[in-house]
Amino acid sequence: MSALFAPTLAARDRRFGYAMAAPAIVVLAAIILAPVALALATSLFDYTLMNMTFDRFIGFDNFVAALSSSEFANSMVVTTLFVIAVVALEFVIGFVVALMLTTVKRGKNIYYLILLIPLLINPVVVGLIWRMLLHPTLGIVNWLLGGIGVPDIDWLGHPGTAFWTVVLVDIWHQVSFMAVLLTAGLSALPTEPYEAARAEGAGTLQTFWYITLPLMKPVIAVTLLIRLIFAIKTYDLIYIMTRGGPGDATDLISYYIYRSAFARLNLGEAAAMAILLMVIVIVLTLALFRTMRARG
Amino acid sequence: MIKRAGPHFILILFSASLLLPLLWVLRTSLTNKVSAYRIPPEWTEPIADNYIAIFTDQPFGTFFLNSLIVAVGSTAIALPLATMLAYAFCRFNTGGMPLRLTVLASQMLPPVILVLPLFSIFLTVGLINNHLGLMLAHVTINLPFLAWMLISFFEGDARIVEEAARVEGATRLQAFLFVAVPMAAPGIVAAGLLGLILSWNEFLYALVLSGKATATLPIGLSALETHRGVEIAMLAAATMFSITPVFVLLPFLKRYLIKGLALGAVK
Repeated sequence: MSALFAPTLAARDRRFGYAMAAPAIVVLAAIILAPVALALATSLFDYTLMNMTFDRFIGFDNFVAALSSSEFANSMVVTTLFVIAVVALEFVIGFVVALMLTTVKRGKNIYYLILLIPLLINPVVVGLIWRMLLHPTLGIVNWLLGGIGVPDIDWLGHPGTAFWTVVLVDIWHQVSFMAVLLTAGLSALPTEPYEAARAEGAGTLQTFWYITLPLMKPVIAVTLLIRLIFAIKTYDLIYIMTRGGPGDATDLISYYIYRSAFARLNLGEAAAMAILLMVIVIVLTLALFRTMRARG
Repeated sequence: MIKRAGPHFILILFSASLLLPLLWVLRTSLTNKVSAYRIPPEWTEPIADNYIAIFTDQPFGTFFLNSLIVAVGSTAIALPLATMLAYAFCRFNTGGMPLRLTVLASQMLPPVILVLPLFSIFLTVGLINNHLGLMLAHVTINLPFLAWMLISFFEGDARIVEEAARVEGATRLQAFLFVAVPMAAPGIVAAGLLGLILSWNEFLYALVLSGKATATLPIGLSALETHRGVEIAMLAAATMFSITPVFVLLPFLKRYLIKGLALGAVK
C-alpha cells in the first residue's frame, strides 16, 4: 500500500466501524439513554402516577425530599451493610473454595460443575426455595437443627435474623461467582515464584501471603468490584423473601425505589433516588473500568 | 493423608450445601399435598401429580410460552447488534473509550433506574402487557452484556485470516460475515445462550411491564407463592420446572460462562 492511499483506507475503516456500531448505538440510545434522560427530567418535576405530566417544575425538591427522608437514609445504611456483608463473606468462602479447587486433582470437574449450578438459577426461584426450607415450623432446616438441639428459629420473622437470613441466601446463590473467577485467576498464575519459594523452604501460609495474594491482586480487585456493583442491584430476593421487612430491616435501595414509585406512587422522588443510585453505580463502574484497563 | 483429604473434605461439604437444598425441593415436588408438609419427613413413592397440576390448575404452560417468546425475541434482537458492535470495537476501536465505558455502564445500571421511565414510555405508546415491550426491556440487559462478552471472541487469529481474505478481494462486510463471524461462531452461540438465560431469569421488568397475558415464569412463580399461601408441593414442582431448561444448557456453557461472568477481565 502506498502512503497516498493510507489515509483514505483508514477513513474507510473508520466509516465501516461506525456503520457496524450504528444499529446498536441507536438502540442503546433509544432504550437506555432516552429513559435515563426521562428519569432525570422526572426527578425535576412534580411527577406522580396520579399526575403524569411535566407541568410543575420543582427543581431539586425531589432530591431534597429524598435526602432528608429517614426511610431513604435507612435504605442506604441497610444496602451498605448488606453489600459489605455479602461481598466480604462470599469473597472469603469463594477464595477458600478456589484454593481447594486448584489443589485437588481428582473430581475437579464435578466440583466445578456443581459450583456453577446456583449461578444460573433465577433469584426468584432461590428466594422461593429458601422460604420453603426455612419455614419456621414446616421447613426442613429447623427440623434438622432441632435434631442437634437448636430451638426453632424464625428466620424471616425478626429484623436481626431476617437481615442475616437474606445475606446467607445471597451467599448460597452468589458465592460461586467469586469461586469461579478466583479459580480462573489462580490457575493463570505463573509457577516459577512457587518453585523458588519451595526451594527457600517457605511454608504454605507464607507462600499464600507473600506470593499468591500479591499476584492475585488485580483479579481480586476486578472480582470484588463486579460483585459489589451487582450486589447493589439486589432486588428479586428481597421482593420474594421479605418485601423489605420485617419493619424496614431488609429494605435494600432497589426495592425501596420500586416501592416509592409503585406503592407510594411518587415517581418524581423515586426518580430522584434512582438518579442518586445511578451516580454511585457509575462511579464504581469508572473504578472497575480503570482497574480492567490497568490489567490490559 | 490428612493433607490430601482436607481439600476434598471442604469441597464435598461445599458441594453438598449447594446441592442438598435443590435435591430436597426436588423430593418435595414429587410428594403429595399432605406429606409435603409432614415434619418429620416421611418417605413416599414419587408421584408426578404436581408437575401435571401446574399445567392443569395453573397457567404454567402460558408462563412458559411467554418466557420463551420474550427470551428468544430479546436475544434475537440483541445478538446481531451486539456482534456488530463488538466487532467494531475490536477491529476499528469505534467510539473509543467513551463508547466502551457507556456500554459497560449500561450493563451495570440497576434495572430499577430504567424501569420507571420505561413504564411511563410504554404506557404512552401502548407497550405495557405486550411481548415486544418486555423484549425491548430485556434488550437493555442483553445488548450491553452480549457486546461486552463478544469483544474477546474477535481477538486472536481471525484478524490474520480476515486480512488474507481482504487481499483476495473480499470487502470489509464480506470479511466480517464470512470470516470473522464463522470463526467466532462457538462464542457467539454461547453468548446467545447466556442472553436467553438472562432474559429467562429476569424479574423486575417483567413484574412492572407485563400483565396477565404476558406474565413470564418468574412472575407466575411469585404469584403462586402469594395466592396459594404455602402449597409447597406444587410450588416445588413449579420451581423445578422453571430451572430445568437452564440445567440442560449448563454443560454447553461451562467453558464460556467465565467470559460472561468476568466481563472479559479474567481469562
